[in-house]
Amino acid sequence: MTGEVRLDRLVGREVYTANHRRLGRLEEFRAERRGTSWIITEYLIGAAGLVERLGLGARLIVGIKRPTGYIARWDQLDLSNPDRPTLTCAAESLQRR
Amino acid sequence: MRKLFNLALGIVTSIGGFVEVGSISTSVQAGAEFGFSLLWAVAAATIFLTTLAEMAGRVAAVSKRSMAAAVRERFGFHFQVVPLGAEFIIDTLLLTAELGGAAIAVKMLTGIGFQWWVFPLGVVAWLVLWFGNFTVIEDGVGLLGIVTLSFVVAAWRLHPDVGPIARGFVPSIPHHDLTRYAFLVVSIVGATVSPYLLNFYASGAIQEKWTQQDLWINRLTAWCGMGFGSVVAMGCLVTAAIVFGPQHLKVDTYEQAAQMFVPVYGRWAVTLFALSLGIGCFGAAVEIALNAGYVLGQAFGWTWGIDKKRRDVSRFVTAFSVVLLLGAGIATIGLDPLRVTLISVALTVVIMPLVVLPFLVLMNEEEYVGTHTSGPLGNALLATLTLLGALMALVVIPLEIFGG
Amino acid sequence: MDVVRDVLDQSVIDRNGREMGRVDGILIEQQPNQPVHLTAVLIGPAALGDRLHPAVGRAVRRIEKSFGVDENRPARVAFADIDEIETKIRLRLTISETAVAAVEQRLRSWLLRLPGSR
Repeated sequence: MTGEVRLDRLVGREVYTANHRRLGRLEEFRAERRGTSWIITEYLIGAAGLVERLGLGARLIVGIKRPTGYIARWDQLDLSNPDRPTLTCAAESLQRR
Repeated sequence: MRKLFNLALGIVTSIGGFVEVGSISTSVQAGAEFGFSLLWAVAAATIFLTTLAEMAGRVAAVSKRSMAAAVRERFGFHFQVVPLGAEFIIDTLLLTAELGGAAIAVKMLTGIGFQWWVFPLGVVAWLVLWFGNFTVIEDGVGLLGIVTLSFVVAAWRLHPDVGPIARGFVPSIPHHDLTRYAFLVVSIVGATVSPYLLNFYASGAIQEKWTQQDLWINRLTAWCGMGFGSVVAMGCLVTAAIVFGPQHLKVDTYEQAAQMFVPVYGRWAVTLFALSLGIGCFGAAVEIALNAGYVLGQAFGWTWGIDKKRRDVSRFVTAFSVVLLLGAGIATIGLDPLRVTLISVALTVVIMPLVVLPFLVLMNEEEYVGTHTSGPLGNALLATLTLLGALMALVVIPLEIFGG
Repeated sequence: MDVVRDVLDQSVIDRNGREMGRVDGILIEQQPNQPVHLTAVLIGPAALGDRLHPAVGRAVRRIEKSFGVDENRPARVAFADIDEIETKIRLRLTISETAVAAVEQRLRSWLLRLPGSR
C-alpha cells in the first residue's frame, strides 16, 4: 500500500504468516513520535480476541492472567494488502506478549 | 451544608422518581396474583439497580465520563453499536409505554379516551425539556413524584401483618403457576433495572460536577434514593396483595388497578391512583427522552447538557425531540400500554448481560475509577449479576410466551 | 502510545477546550520499506458509518450531501495538528478551522426560529 488506509478498519483483521496460516488478529498499534510525525513501531497481534479485549476484570473471571499473542516490529508485518496483513518473517521470531 | 441539602434533595427526588409504568404494572400484578411472596424480587432487583447505579456514578465522578462515553472510549464503536442500538429501541418503546400510562391516568381523571392525551402530553414533555433546566427537571419532576407515596400510605393504612410481609422477603417456591411466578420475577427485574436509569444517573452526576470527593454522596444518593424508592413499589405490591390477593384477581387494566385504593382512600381512590400513575409515568417519559439526548450526544461526541443554551446543543435537542416524537407517535396508535410495557421490560432483560458486562471491565480500570476499583467482592457480585442477567435473558422470551 | 486505546473513539477538543467530537477514524500511510505513519484523524458520522460497513458510510455521505453539509467532511485533522493526547485529544486548531460543526450549525439555524430558543 502506498496511499492512505483506514487504521480503524484494520483493527480485528486476521494476520497471516508467510505460509498462509492464521496467526491471530491485529489488536493494537504502538506508535511513537518522531519529530512532527507519529510512526507505528509495533503491532500487537492477539491470540483469540474477545476475552483478551475485555481487559483485566473479565480475564480474572475467566482465569487468564496476561494477554496472549505476539508483538511484531514494524518491519515484521506487511500491510501492502490491507485486507490480508502478512508477516514478513517467521512466526517463531516474533516477540511473545 | 449545601452538599447535605443537595444530598437530601437527591434522595427525595429519587424516591419520587422510582415508580413508573413498569414498576407499577409489575408490582400490582405481583401482589394481586402472589400476595407478598414477590417482595424479595423487588428488593433483589433494587439491589441490582443500585449496585450498577452507584458504579456508574463512581465512573462519572472519577473520570467525568457517563456510561455511554466510557463504553465508546473503552470498547470502541463496534462493540457499542449493539447495546446502543438495542437501548435506543427499548427506550423508545418504554417512552411509548410511559406516555401511554400517563395518558391513561389523564383519561381516568377526565373520562376522555387515552389516545387523545398522548400527543398533548408529549408536547408538554417537550416544553419541559425545551424551557427547563437541571433543577426543574431532575428536582421538580422528582418532587412532584412524592404523590406516589400514596402507595406506601395505603399499604400502611391497611394494617398488614408483619409476619407474612417479612416472609415475602424470603424467596420461595409458589404453590401455583410457577411459570407465571418466574415471569413476574424476571419482569420485576427488567422493570427496575432499566438501562436508561444508569446513564441518566451518571449524566446527572457529571452535570452536578461530582468529583472523587463526592463518592460518599454518590453512594448515599444511589442506595438511599433508590432504596427508599423501592419502598414505594413495595407499597404498591402490598396494597394490591391485600385488596386483590384474596380473590387471586388477574389485573389487566390500570382502571382495575386503581380500585386497590378504594378501601383506603374511598372516593379519592381513582384520583390518587391516576395522579400517582400519571406523574410517575410523565416524569419517566421526560427522563427517558432526555437520556436519549444524553446517550447519543455522549456516544457520538456532541456538546450536550440540560443547562446549556438550547441553541448551543442543537444536535442534542434534535435527538430528544425526535425520540419524543417517535414515542408519542407510536403511543397514539393506541397500543395497550400494559402490553408495550411488558415487551420493553422483556427486551431490557434480553440485553441485560451486554449492559452489565462493561461494568465488570470499567470497575477494574484505574482510568475510569481511579483507586476506587472494585475489589474481589465487587467483582464477584458483578460476575454473578452478569451470569444472572444472561440466565434471565435466555428464559425471558419463553416465559413471556408461557407466563405473560 | 497505543493508537486504538488512546486515540480511536476518544474525545477531541480544540485549542480553546471546546468539544469537537470523537476520533471516528484514523488514516495511515505506508511507503515501501518505511514504517507506517499516522496521517490524520477523521471526525464525523460518515467516518463512523464506514466502520460499520462501507455502504453505511456512503449512505451517511449521501444524506449529508442532500442537506448540503458534506463539504470537507468527515473532518480530517492531521496528526501534526494534534497538540497532546491525554484523557482527551487536544488540537492546535480551533473548531472553526474545521468542518466538524456543520451539522450542529445547520440544526442551530433551524432551532433559532423556534420561540423561546435560549
